Amino acid sequence: MADSEMGEATLERKLAVYRNLDERFVIREERYKGQQFSHIYFMRLHHMRSQLQSLIPKWKPHLPVNTVLGLEEGKECIIVGTLYKHMKLKPSILDEYSKERSAIPLVKPHNFMSTDDHLILEDESGRVKLAGPMLAPSAFVTGIVIAVHGKETSEGDFFVEDFLEAGLAPQVDRPLDSREDKFVAFVSGLSVGTNAFNPLQFQLLVDHITGHLGDENEQRISSKIVRLVIVGNSMHISHGFFSGQTVAPKDHAKLTEPIRELDIFLTQLVAALPVDIMPGCNDPANYSLPQQPLHRCLFAGASAYNTFVSCTNPHHFELDNVQFVGTSGQNIDDLYKYSDAKDKIEFMERTLRWRHLAPTAPNTLGCYPYVDKDPFLIESCPHVYFVGNQEKYETRLLQGPDKQLVRLISIPRFCETGVAVMLNLRNLECHALSFSTNL
Amino acid sequence: MSSSNITSFFRQEKKTTKRKNDGGGVAIAKLCSKIRSDLAPLLVSSTDQLRSTKESTKEAEERLKEFDIDMRYGPSMGLTRIERWDRASALGLCPPADVESLLLATSTISHCLWQGRV
Repeated sequence: MADSEMGEATLERKLAVYRNLDERFVIREERYKGQQFSHIYFMRLHHMRSQLQSLIPKWKPHLPVNTVLGLEEGKECIIVGTLYKHMKLKPSILDEYSKERSAIPLVKPHNFMSTDDHLILEDESGRVKLAGPMLAPSAFVTGIVIAVHGKETSEGDFFVEDFLEAGLAPQVDRPLDSREDKFVAFVSGLSVGTNAFNPLQFQLLVDHITGHLGDENEQRISSKIVRLVIVGNSMHISHGFFSGQTVAPKDHAKLTEPIRELDIFLTQLVAALPVDIMPGCNDPANYSLPQQPLHRCLFAGASAYNTFVSCTNPHHFELDNVQFVGTSGQNIDDLYKYSDAKDKIEFMERTLRWRHLAPTAPNTLGCYPYVDKDPFLIESCPHVYFVGNQEKYETRLLQGPDKQLVRLISIPRFCETGVAVMLNLRNLECHALSFSTNL
Repeated sequence: MSSSNITSFFRQEKKTTKRKNDGGGVAIAKLCSKIRSDLAPLLVSSTDQLRSTKESTKEAEERLKEFDIDMRYGPSMGLTRIERWDRASALGLCPPADVESLLLATSTISHCLWQGRV
């Protein structure tokens, strides 16, 4: 609660009804029995195919839908399957075993695309190479399910004349009757424990949100913040500690100091408002998606409060019936390595159109080998879709063909930019909060 | 005193409490196996008893191998046949009912034909 000074009428913080919907990302009943990833691809294909099959009659009603094995040369038809992008520059474990020393360096840091990349469509019966100018490989990645219209050529390829993506999923109506402004704050990439972390800068953010900064007007603004979401990479544990070797006593402090420092800040925050904290790639959580919630014992101080909520990555929740879905960035960063777009927001749009949060999982993005589900499938379009740990703050309001409206937010790393993001629940408007300690 | 069973007060096995299910995300296989264990005695075919056991086992195994290879129901490696049948059923793929009754008979192999070989 933000108190105003001199014992005047207390300014109360606004409240919003919160529902945590992370259950499908929690690994609970699943048991690893040595299964491989074929099952998750089967579930994905099955689910997406039924969605596409309901859309095909509206798209091209007079064409037959075939399986890949059922293709006949020259016969025009539609096939539905999973895309595989063959990329010669993609690092492969088999390269380590090849007899010849290749001239290509083992790992290219930024992007593995090449002009030779080509697409292959695969279903349970077989696979076929896709040819033709309609599908530019640079815009696609392995793992998405689409329908293609075309015909088989004499070379055995499938010449694509047109393609269909599932498009934005149907969206539940957003409540429009709210008259008051309520804000959700997002911050990402705090990186406590690195040299990039500036404690004064983060303390400014904490003080602003908890209402200990500024005059009554500013406190009034802060009292409208109903929730803070910390989107991954709150601390940075040096990757050397993840090797599995025993940590020497002199290094214990390097391991525990960042966690303790973060806990001190978090305790100040949770004492003032509800906080959701998500794991990221540098946090002490599991590597593969979905990342499981950070353990409560890491936050001795903050976990004592019921306003402290440790969440999965990806994170799905509802605030006053507004649907939020977000990730700590791994899904978009992986798309950036294997495909091209004008900005990160465009990658985010594509994942919504493909109805899958992380299509490159499990191909190039670590993922749990589910047997009977694919939890990253987007069944209902969210109202707010956020991604953390990006280079800069970007946002766009995406409009879908069925009156869907999605606010896309790319949240920058706080340790580098000092920027946090505020979203207004009433009208989905977004603005940046910038903190600087440079005088 | 000496004739009393020592295991009555000195437990040989750890007393484990059944894990409470918090609801949500129950794996399909677990739910189905629970329902199935209640219904199993009712579903075993009576005609098996008339044929010689060896023949019927061979036939059953052939039928199950066909089920394993059938690509409509997804990959067969990494799960037991009954789990795969349950998954196919939950997805609305209508897997054959005779396969289900074969799987409930205890003499059939629970894993697919490639298990242990790949």
